[in-house]
Amino acid sequence: MTKETLDKILKIVLIVGVFTLPIWMNSPTYLQILILLFFYAYLTTSWNLVGGWAGVLPLGHSAYVGIGAYTSTVLFMHYGLSPWVGMIAGGALAAIVGTIIGIPTLKLRGAYFALATMAFGEGVRVFVENTDKLGPFVLNGPRGICVPLNESFWNFQFMSKIPYYYIILIMLCLALFVTWYMSRTRIGYYLNAGGEEPEAAEALGVNVAKYKVIAMAISCFMTGLAGTFYAQLMLYFYPKAILGLDFSFEIAFIALIGGRGTLAGPVLGALILRPVTDFSRIYFSSILPGLHLVIYGLVLILVMIYQPRGIQAPLNRFYNWILDKVTGNIENKGVQS
Amino acid sequence: MALLEIKNVSKHFGGLKAVDQVDLSIEKGQIFGLIGPNGAGKSTLFNCVAGLYAPTYGQVFFKGNEITGMKPWDVCNMRIARTFQLVKPFKMKTVLYNTMVGAYIRSTNPAEVRDMALDVLERLHLADKKDLLAKSLTIADRKRLELARAMATNPEMLLLDECMAGLRPNEVDEILDIVRGIRDGGVTIFVIEHIMRAIMALSDRIAVIHFGEKIVEGTPKEVSTDERVIKAYLGDGYVATGN
Amino acid sequence: MGSIYGLAALGLTLIFGVIKVINFAHGSCLMVGMYAAYWVVMLTGVNPYLALVVVVPLLFFFGYFLQDIVIKPVLEAQSDVREPTEVIIVTSGVWYILDNITLMIFGAEYRVVQTSITGKAFELGEIIVSTPKLYGFIATIIVSVALVWFLKYTKMGKSIRAASLDREAASLMGINQYRVYNIAFGIGTAIMGVVGCVLIPFYYVFPTVGVIFDVKCFIIVVLGGLGSIPGALIGGVIIGLIESVGAQFMTSTWTELIVYIVFLAVLFVKPAGLFGEERDW
Repeated sequence: MTKETLDKILKIVLIVGVFTLPIWMNSPTYLQILILLFFYAYLTTSWNLVGGWAGVLPLGHSAYVGIGAYTSTVLFMHYGLSPWVGMIAGGALAAIVGTIIGIPTLKLRGAYFALATMAFGEGVRVFVENTDKLGPFVLNGPRGICVPLNESFWNFQFMSKIPYYYIILIMLCLALFVTWYMSRTRIGYYLNAGGEEPEAAEALGVNVAKYKVIAMAISCFMTGLAGTFYAQLMLYFYPKAILGLDFSFEIAFIALIGGRGTLAGPVLGALILRPVTDFSRIYFSSILPGLHLVIYGLVLILVMIYQPRGIQAPLNRFYNWILDKVTGNIENKGVQS
Repeated sequence: MALLEIKNVSKHFGGLKAVDQVDLSIEKGQIFGLIGPNGAGKSTLFNCVAGLYAPTYGQVFFKGNEITGMKPWDVCNMRIARTFQLVKPFKMKTVLYNTMVGAYIRSTNPAEVRDMALDVLERLHLADKKDLLAKSLTIADRKRLELARAMATNPEMLLLDECMAGLRPNEVDEILDIVRGIRDGGVTIFVIEHIMRAIMALSDRIAVIHFGEKIVEGTPKEVSTDERVIKAYLGDGYVATGN
Repeated sequence: MGSIYGLAALGLTLIFGVIKVINFAHGSCLMVGMYAAYWVVMLTGVNPYLALVVVVPLLFFFGYFLQDIVIKPVLEAQSDVREPTEVIIVTSGVWYILDNITLMIFGAEYRVVQTSITGKAFELGEIIVSTPKLYGFIATIIVSVALVWFLKYTKMGKSIRAASLDREAASLMGINQYRVYNIAFGIGTAIMGVVGCVLIPFYYVFPTVGVIFDVKCFIIVVLGGLGSIPGALIGGVIIGLIESVGAQFMTSTWTELIVYIVFLAVLFVKPAGLFGEERDW
């Protein structure tokens, strides 16, 4: 068996396993953990379009999650609009806002861009926290919004966790597909080039700023969709949870640790770091609150110093090494017998 | 009608006149050289054409169309390509990837673009290195990659900014051949160069820039024996009196 | 109060202007300074300004080693990039670590220190000025003057200014660039120590206190211009003014929003800030 064949087999097993998981695991707690894991993987993958490829560091992406959540929920509560439609609306609004913010900020140098996105993210949080009513819409300020309970597919609400699991899984697959597709076509090449050597790219016909804004718009749209998902999953959200610096940073940290600019990096980051958060919260939260953030910080620093391309680099090498060893062994055994 | 016309272009940086009322005309199929002492304003003039700067005064025309002050990517879309004196490869990407970035201006189909890029790499004898990361290339190869990338955009005119700096003599000869080959393929070339023997051998016509002004223009022979040029490069003491 | 913000920003502008790194952990350093000052005062009961003697050197070394252990490796790995974004990431990591370790060790309660000047105020004509804040203002002036003198006249100060212009060039001239950075960083953090001592007479001490100052510091630094001392101070005053004036008309959270909007506006219109130099980013 060749390495490529083994690689393909493992990947197929993984995909099948992930898709059939709910059949043999029905603990809602663990399902919830997995759902949130995919949720973060989705968020980091979306973030990666700007943070990994456009080569800048957006630190205010939580604002778009919030925009998505608030938009779809408010539309649902006021007009009875199905959250599925609201989701698209929220994503669109997030994309529009992202573009408006992106056009001036993406011209700024890396450090300034980071600061600007932070300021924007915090600005949105402060604004929402202080606003009870925005015109006819109730935002409820810091208390957040409770999504009215009304279980049905059309209302994007389900009693069991299983539908949520599949929805986020599909969203994640779509996000990965979008990323993969972009990497193989012009927009991906132009973004990468513009991120690495903008002057050279411009001389080759790339309007770097324009492509960065496009990446931002796509990323914000996708992030907005996640906001609605969160709202429908938790049925309650409030500014401190869904907006604000901590959330933005968490997304960025995970993507960075996993490996920005790669396909698997953000997902791997989420895969490894989210369980850390969950377990430290379950077991340690009373004794050592905030432990997971310390761990994040430590890992982040170590990764940045020793593996700036993220842990996906050594993990990839390790995986390939194992593949080599195993197929080598199989071939040897085959030869011997 | 000349392919590229630079009409009375000046570029001022505050009080400094980097380029001062320069007029140039480049015909299709020519190799036009630009020389001058360091800091004379050659690169600045280039950048005024290529879109990195907008001229303070004057106009630039390409194929009769005005391109003054156009952004670099639009200039590239007008089929003018340029290389940089300090090469800027996409270091973390392969040679093929680098070249494909250039080729994407001609097509959006990845397979087509790949073929175009491979074709260019073949012509520049870089095809065997196509899967190497740009950062692992020698300086000579990086310069060739810079050329390949620019050529991948299929330009009608190529601006070469000191592409031979830092090369060994045999490498210089290689590049000379490549550049001639490019011109033979129908591309007009506007080149800045310091290595005298290269630019004298290569160019059909040469202009000399000194303190931002064009002081002489003519064939290589005319320019190399012109008093003013010798004075500019070497100072008054070297002008031979009475030939 | 604005002048105190200015002081804090001063530390930051030094670090940013010199090493060209954005130290997101700045606020956390302040927090560390405040906790240090708090404990010194609690344990020994001395006047917080005397605590300066302990806190400032402590923070100096803290900053020095922070730069040395954490930031230097990143800079070394990316020596050709002027301001690597990795540093932002790393310092964010430090920020989170510091804040949360403090949270774990000391708990989340707000602490307050009663000192001889807490709550005192005196009248200046018709205005009532809070004593601790006045002392803070004086401290700011003293430190700024000292800093300017240091940078202009001492050998180390000049080295710092040289290194800020170009890392490699300075090292070619015999300046050990990383040592200079370490010291600059140390000074920047030491200033935070001063701020910490200044603040505890009237400000609450809690693990995330650094965050508020952190964001404001950055805004001030950008507003006033990177690497510019007068800029940092004036920027601080402006922000302080916006807050106090704003507080007359609206709640503090709205003034926060205004600060953000001002920040964004400045970034878009004049990224170099009021006094900064145009840099070729």
